[in-house]
Amino acid sequence: MRILTMAQNTFREAVRDKVLYVLLFFAAVVIFGSKALAWISIGQDIKIVKDVTLAAISLFGVLIAIFVGTSLIYKEIDKRTLYTIISQPMHRYEFILGKYVGLMALLAVVTLIMTGVSAVYVLLLGGSLEKMYFLAVLLIYCKLTLVTAIALLLSSLSSPILGAIIVFMAYIFGHATGVFLNLPPQFDGTLAKQLLEIAYYIVPNLSNFDIRSEAANGVPVSLGYVAWAITYAAAYTGVFLILAALVFEEKDV
Amino acid sequence: MDAIRTENLSKVYKGIGKRTVHSLTELNLTVGEGEVFGFLGRNGAGKTTTIKILCSLLKPAGGTAYIFGENARNRATRRLLGYLPEQPYFYEYLTPKETLDFYGRLRGLSAAERARDWDRLSEMLELREIAGDRIKSFSKGMRQRVGFAVALVGDPPLLILDEPMSGLDPLGRRMIRDIIRHQHELGKTIFFSSHVLSDVEQLCDRVGILVKGRLSKQGQIDELLGGQDNQRETLEDYFLREQQKGDLQL
Repeated sequence: MRILTMAQNTFREAVRDKVLYVLLFFAAVVIFGSKALAWISIGQDIKIVKDVTLAAISLFGVLIAIFVGTSLIYKEIDKRTLYTIISQPMHRYEFILGKYVGLMALLAVVTLIMTGVSAVYVLLLGGSLEKMYFLAVLLIYCKLTLVTAIALLLSSLSSPILGAIIVFMAYIFGHATGVFLNLPPQFDGTLAKQLLEIAYYIVPNLSNFDIRSEAANGVPVSLGYVAWAITYAAAYTGVFLILAALVFEEKDV
Repeated sequence: MDAIRTENLSKVYKGIGKRTVHSLTELNLTVGEGEVFGFLGRNGAGKTTTIKILCSLLKPAGGTAYIFGENARNRATRRLLGYLPEQPYFYEYLTPKETLDFYGRLRGLSAAERARDWDRLSEMLELREIAGDRIKSFSKGMRQRVGFAVALVGDPPLLILDEPMSGLDPLGRRMIRDIIRHQHELGKTIFFSSHVLSDVEQLCDRVGILVKGRLSKQGQIDELLGGQDNQRETLEDYFLREQQKGDLQL
């Protein structure tokens, strides 16, 4: 109940955040601008439009997760709204989970809006939409659950700007974890190779959620893979949320 | 039973570099049930730190705080207290009615209890006329009224108020004084910090004076100031004397 109350409030707060509308505006520009890219790729236009719209849903979802997520807890401390909330008979983890659920609800609405606009645009251009397109969106949302959990952890540890930089770096690394295992031979036996191998197993591999080109090109992806990717996101998200709750539990505010 | 009891409560902050700042040193404080207790001290003496520990915003470095005999760190204990921070901040986009409903939900009150609380508190704090306005447009005095209403949500037996009169005009101060008196009459325990010593003298049964994180004195106002006769010292003189004594000792 208390988690839901916090979540409703977080949703309401985020809906009133101007950053959200600026990002949604740019998402619309990219979605409708995708046709421009399609013109320069003869005969591939619908594939390009699908690819670019999925990229836009992913990119703007991640930007909202990072910018809103990293300021979520920090803002409460900075504006001292936290004082009267934490002094209520509630667990601190309920506060953290409420903030998280509220932002995820917002991201669900934003993802649905962007998907709806993209889908209508593809259909208006004469294209067709397969199940794969929507599975790709589902995995983008899974990625957002994970990135938001990292942002929330950082929000209870650092300032929004530093937090955003770190989450953005984690996002880049998360898309390049394959490189960690495929270093050139001259790295064999070095500490750097060992550290990167450890990092490979710790840093979540965000490429697992990227089935955009398969969706654009109509290449099927098994439901088993999708289920595995959802489990992967849930496991990492759980770990980051537990860490965020533990950090916040000990925090003096 | 004591409404508040602290045993050797200490708080240390890590300063810049390796320097540590002792904000509170072995504080042993008792506030009886039904008392109005004034908590005095200069800026930085440790008043807000004590209040934040009582409300579980800060973790003590040592010692324990008890609220009605229960450890203040227990979640259920916080049901017994209402807290008004110095310069309270609320979600700016909510109205007073939405704000009280939000805190009622966090306290686990039912819809009927929340509606009753709104009726009771909106009348007591004159919130009805501004019930639908967003807090972002409110003056300091209006915010303080909302803050007091939030502290009273769920009708807790202990009120912890940090500088409740700070920054208010004479009318606002009068209103807060009247509410404190009214809550006292209802049997509530009120623990508040203040720099306005005339208000403390008017309202409090007992006071505690904090000097540089240590409790220099606590007791009945009449006993500390020398009874009711003409020789009675003002609280201001007494307070300043205690500060000077503390400065010499520390």
